[in-house]
Amino acid sequence: MTLTLYHIPDWASSIIRLALEEIGQPYTIAAMDRDAGDFAAPAFRAINPLGLIPALDTPDGPIFETAAILLWLNECYGGLGPRQGEPDRAAFLSWLTFVSNGPHVTSMAMIHPEYSAGDAAADEVLRLAFEKLNQQAAHLETLITTKAPAWLSTETPGALGYYLGVVLRWAIYMPHDPTLRFSLAPFPALRAVLAAHEGFPAARRVAEADGLGPTPFTAPATA
Amino acid sequence: MYTLHYAPDNASLIVRLVLDGAGIPYRTALVNRATRQHDGAAYRALNPSGLIPTLETPQGAIAETGAILLWLTDTHKLGPAPGDHDRQAFLQWLFFLSNTAHADLRQIFYPHQYAPAEAHAGHLEIMAARMIRHFGLLDAAARQHPQLFGPARPLAAYTLALTRWAALYPVDARRWMNLAAFPVLAALAQAQEARVETPIIARAEGLGSHPFTSPEQPNPPEGAVL
Repeated sequence: MTLTLYHIPDWASSIIRLALEEIGQPYTIAAMDRDAGDFAAPAFRAINPLGLIPALDTPDGPIFETAAILLWLNECYGGLGPRQGEPDRAAFLSWLTFVSNGPHVTSMAMIHPEYSAGDAAADEVLRLAFEKLNQQAAHLETLITTKAPAWLSTETPGALGYYLGVVLRWAIYMPHDPTLRFSLAPFPALRAVLAAHEGFPAARRVAEADGLGPTPFTAPATA
Repeated sequence: MYTLHYAPDNASLIVRLVLDGAGIPYRTALVNRATRQHDGAAYRALNPSGLIPTLETPQGAIAETGAILLWLTDTHKLGPAPGDHDRQAFLQWLFFLSNTAHADLRQIFYPHQYAPAEAHAGHLEIMAARMIRHFGLLDAAARQHPQLFGPARPLAAYTLALTRWAALYPVDARRWMNLAAFPVLAALAQAQEARVETPIIARAEGLGSHPFTSPEQPNPPEGAVL
């Protein structure tokens, strides 16, 4: 079975690469270059009409959206979280969806605060997004400390740990205002889960391949 | 039995359309937004983010509209199962609705959470243009996958709720939504209104006689929209 990941290192497609390495399925990389017009190319729009990565081509056809790909990989191969009928599936779906429309969206707003209301409002948009991401991280911290879910833990690699690792990594090192960069320090349980995830063998391999540095989730390179 | 924690014309409407459309029994539990019940300890214990809806199931509480729809789909066979050939299309459009279309519309409803007051007019213009693009993509997806976007099915219910709210909220903002520009979605709105359960739901939540083809400001018999 051939899987092809449309990919740019340190974009959301790195989340899918982490999942692919975790489940141990062979895959090929289709390297994308936005500046060369790859996102607008008709052949790619046939894969993803949104013109975004990640997208994954599979023998059953293409699929896009980070969370959708994670769920689909988990259905096909397992190893990323509870599947339908398994214990704690309801909570896993709730929090996967939360990460998809919460921290992922908020982190993107921190990287590109000019997108939603123009350049003049960017500083304030960033500040609001920074505050929102801290609220969202507090929900995750409470989840880990009160429920200790197996699918977001220091013991077992999973889709949620890798997903959060990448989107919070961006918020830690990318915002243009250094005073509005996200920190894991107020969230020790979440930080421990992400520290464990960046140490798992699949993450070591992706960090090497995508140039994410030795501690990609807890202390991403800020150069 | 399920318990749907709801407020009128909130995202719980999407779940109600799917549950009633499939004939799945459930109880409703009103979350009174007028008294900020969704910020109270009891509701936060069910759903830490305080968002509506929450669906209580025998397997635990589920938060997030998209997660509830996926769980119902898999439990009650309301769409493609894992391994079915259009499972990928179902999953990708469900998450597009959740993290892009719904998330962007939420920015229009609550601009003070996302942008400074002096930028709200420009913010609305940018976000409305994005929403129009999203509805265009959904119109094309519904044309390509009619079986996934059938009336009362999860993707259709989600899409129609967004088209309704886009026409209504915020109450005092410039109107920008024109359902007729999206012919597949407009036909879907008519088909949803023709279903027997739609007027019952509309009456329960005060949504008027044409909640999707000609939305009007709700007048709920109980609870508060905002």
